[in-house]
Amino acid sequence: MAVAREAEPVGSLHEVREAGLDREDLLGVYRNLVITRGVEERGHILYRQGKIPGSFYTGRGNEAAAVGVATAMKQEDVGTPLHRDMGVHITRGVEPWRIFAQYMGRADGPTKGRDGNVHMADAQLGLIAMVSHLPAMLPVAVGAALAFRIREEARVALAWFGEGASARGDTHEGMTFAGTRELPVVFVCDNNQWAYSTPTHLEYATEHVADRAQAYGFEGVVVDGTDVLAVYREARRAIEKARAGGGPTLLECLTLRMEGHAVHDDAFYVPKVMFEKWAESDPLERFRTWLRANVDMTDEEEDEISTGVKKLLNDALKRAEDSPMPDASDLTAGVYATGEDLDTPHHK
Amino acid sequence: MATETAVDVVMPQMGVSVSEGTITRWLKREGEQVEADEPLLEISTDKVDTEVPSPASGTLVQILVQEGETVDVGTKLGQIGGAAGAPAPAAPEPEPEPASVAPSEPEPAPAPAAQAPAPAADVSGGNGKFVSPVVARIAAEHNIDPNAVPGTGRGGRVTKQDILAFVEQGPPPVAPPAAPAPPATVPSAPSSEAPAPRPAPANAPSAPQPQPGEQVEPVSAMRRGIAEHMRRSLDTAAHVTSAIEVDFSKIVAARAALKKEFQSAYGVNPTYLAFVARAAVETLKDYPYVNAEMRGDSIVTRNYVNLGIAVELADGKGLIVPVIRNAEGLNLLGIARGIADLAARARDKKLLPDDVQGGTFTITNPGGYGTFHGTPVINQPQSAILGTYALVKRPWVITDESGNDAIAIKPIMNVTLTYDHRLVDGAYAGRFLRDLRERLESWDGTE
Amino acid sequence: MAELTYLQAISDGLRTEMRRDKRVFLIGEDVGVYGGAFKVSLGFQEEFGPWRVIDAPLAETAIIGACTGASMMGLRPVAEMQFADFISCAWDQLVTVAAKQRWRAGTPVPIVVRLPSGGGFSGGPFHSQNPESSFAHIPGLKCVCPATPEDAKGLLISAIEDPNPVLFFEHKHLYRRIKGEVPEERYTVPIGKARTHRIGKDISVITWGAMVFTAEEAAQQLENDGVSVEVLDLRSVMPWDKAAVLDSVRKTSKALVLHEDTRTGGFGAEIAATIAEEAFEDLDAPVKRIAAPDTPVPFSPPLEKAFIPQVDDVVAGLRDLAGY
Repeated sequence: MAVAREAEPVGSLHEVREAGLDREDLLGVYRNLVITRGVEERGHILYRQGKIPGSFYTGRGNEAAAVGVATAMKQEDVGTPLHRDMGVHITRGVEPWRIFAQYMGRADGPTKGRDGNVHMADAQLGLIAMVSHLPAMLPVAVGAALAFRIREEARVALAWFGEGASARGDTHEGMTFAGTRELPVVFVCDNNQWAYSTPTHLEYATEHVADRAQAYGFEGVVVDGTDVLAVYREARRAIEKARAGGGPTLLECLTLRMEGHAVHDDAFYVPKVMFEKWAESDPLERFRTWLRANVDMTDEEEDEISTGVKKLLNDALKRAEDSPMPDASDLTAGVYATGEDLDTPHHK
Repeated sequence: MATETAVDVVMPQMGVSVSEGTITRWLKREGEQVEADEPLLEISTDKVDTEVPSPASGTLVQILVQEGETVDVGTKLGQIGGAAGAPAPAAPEPEPEPASVAPSEPEPAPAPAAQAPAPAADVSGGNGKFVSPVVARIAAEHNIDPNAVPGTGRGGRVTKQDILAFVEQGPPPVAPPAAPAPPATVPSAPSSEAPAPRPAPANAPSAPQPQPGEQVEPVSAMRRGIAEHMRRSLDTAAHVTSAIEVDFSKIVAARAALKKEFQSAYGVNPTYLAFVARAAVETLKDYPYVNAEMRGDSIVTRNYVNLGIAVELADGKGLIVPVIRNAEGLNLLGIARGIADLAARARDKKLLPDDVQGGTFTITNPGGYGTFHGTPVINQPQSAILGTYALVKRPWVITDESGNDAIAIKPIMNVTLTYDHRLVDGAYAGRFLRDLRERLESWDGTE
Repeated sequence: MAELTYLQAISDGLRTEMRRDKRVFLIGEDVGVYGGAFKVSLGFQEEFGPWRVIDAPLAETAIIGACTGASMMGLRPVAEMQFADFISCAWDQLVTVAAKQRWRAGTPVPIVVRLPSGGGFSGGPFHSQNPESSFAHIPGLKCVCPATPEDAKGLLISAIEDPNPVLFFEHKHLYRRIKGEVPEERYTVPIGKARTHRIGKDISVITWGAMVFTAEEAAQQLENDGVSVEVLDLRSVMPWDKAAVLDSVRKTSKALVLHEDTRTGGFGAEIAATIAEEAFEDLDAPVKRIAAPDTPVPFSPPLEKAFIPQVDDVVAGLRDLAGY
């Protein structure tokens, strides 16, 4: 039996305005969605061209969840996005050329070729780089929130995880600690229904992941993760509640992972009808339709966004490909930090 | 950590005829814990290398006989538990704080310097002495022959202090041993000078100086035993060797048929050696003088066969001939199992003294390396030794039922019998070999 | 200068930094009201309040993860593991997140994890371990193992200042047994610098933590034999003072590496290997190691005594080297 609150879809423009977005914001959200998908589609092509080493993961189907939450963050807030959350990086302002450079292991990627994929973060933008041990970032975000609480700052930490990661102890420990201390953190569960090949009923026995929130002493909310406006509204509520001292929220964004776990996985185990059903609520198409119906997005505006993004990504790709491969003589540098390294926006 | 009662470790009696043994390796060092029955040291007698299990649990407080030394059976080799060197004083104090117990006067024989793997005996540089890296470097820097430096280290090793003193003071006058060693750095009365005898290789005056490129190693007890035995055999027996070629077609087929069953059911590989051994034992029943011995004025024959199998130890470290007793009562499986068991135990040094005694006839199998012929030395006091060699495919003339000759490819083994012509005549040996061949060539597969 | 126990010196160091630097906070199980399982932080919560002396839930992953996150936000967390053994529960946070963040993502993680470690009091397999070699093996972590009260205070302050994750192994057996003069003012002891605990010329003992005192007692006994033993207290194993070790070994030409951790893969192996690589031509004897056997730490006193290297063991080892 569901315990978590199931969020309403966002209907009218009025509701959106109430939630804090004007027309320009809305077109910006759409643009971020288009960039997010575009970056990953390009990445996919690069991977098949052999230009990206290792594995390649995308967040297709999760764009609205990621962009929606990130849109609700304030500049001073921080977060730990995972590999389905490219939209967070895009919304926070990471330049796509650096993402391509990261993908291709180039010297100009945020990790300078030392790590790959979306294992990156721009500290200037309030992001903390993920590790592959997915829920490990939850306690870290809780620690950021603890710092805000100790210093009595009006800032919030966002912690992303998947329904698969919800099974691990880090999730429990992080939520327990955040709950006991009512820390300003929002846990965002990207529930895309498949942890690699494992379906939800083998990851958790409640109806929703968000049902667990009550056990930790805070609110759980389930929202349609393909509805960027609904995600935005619920994320904003949770973030502002935390900022005001109201403690954590567990926000579960329900989506479907529209591709395999990684490029090498054809997701044969996902029922075809499931893909068909969820394809009907593609987050980009859904929002585009909404924009045309509710804020009269014109052909010109739509075209401008799509050609603008295309050019942005073309230029980005070119710049990334011009970036040199990292110099191996530098490999052992920076294992240990020096005092100067502490001069970052984070550590101030 | 110390055990209360002292228990002596002694040189065991490894068979009735054995009076002494050599320590090849201590597996524990002084000060180390050892469990009862845990291997404590390895010894070597003239025929057996074996491990000596610890007689008790406790600390090996003292090693009295060093590696490489040979002592009589019953000699105390070391001590488990108690105080070193002295009878255990039955300490009344129940709980001594170990750190504060250290007496201020120099102890006569304290839980002494662990003897460690005696380097002087093992690693020879030049004069049989181990030269440590730092000594080698200092010697090179000052163009000194380290062997010219009097050594005060373990086994006469030249220590860093020795060579530094040598550099400083030049070569000592004439009298060699009372070296000008700086007393402060050498432990006073190092109890490594244990009461047991030492080989003292450095003192042996007659040992010729090794030439450049030569390596010198001491003769092991086993090698000495082999040397004496081989020489004695050639001095005793009148060695003659006869050879015969045997068509192994049926054996090859029989082995192929049995191999799987033997291995899956018994874990034993039916080697060609096992077939030959089985056939030889059977043939010996008809040729008692091949399984005999000249004992003084008498000739001794037997109604049993104790079959010796020559086994080479690893790295050319020697040869040992463990014995399958009463082989006449064993079928092919029994003999194959016996051979496998003895070979494994010989390699693992787990042979018991009785395993190598009382042989009446020996088989040696040098054919593993492709040799097709040889003239082995008889294992005294036996009267013969059978040699088996490489099984090779040869063009072989066969005659069919209608008397036509043809050339076929056959697996052929050369088999030799080396016999003591004092006791066995040539024709007798030839008949033995003929019958042995007949048995092997007509192997019926029932065995 | 006041005479403090090793434990008091740690308290003193922590208090000094918390008074001086508002960014420093302490988090752990029972560190607040109770003052910590060993009373290192007794009275701290009264002085610094519940948000700088934080009683955490029984959740080591959350504790270390929270320290990592808080450090990235500019604080200087000090975590107390109730026993060093429990750090295994937070392995992932230390090894996966904290250790690698600077190198791969450019984000330093300046945290200190205090680890009451070591045996000698029948703590058994789960309250006695010395896991420093496991973490010394992880690039990005530092491992500090002070032996004296003076070093404990100075190294703790250095650890808090350090921009990296520092594991501070404080030996429980020294807490109240070892006393020494400790300067009252703030001072630091550099991480990665060894200290010559005892000067000698014939054999070098390289060790750290509680074994420094075991080595010292053994060295005194060898003095009666006319053998002069140098005892080098590494003070930290990552980074470790390679130059000091090599200098000492080049002087004495004989080295004994001693640690309370188990033998195989213990940090002594790294030291012995380095001596063999870099000081081979200065050696006059094989490098000797004395360490605990490769078993869990036993509970019963005679077993534990057999496990932890004793003075007699070291004496025997030194005599062996002396007589070589």
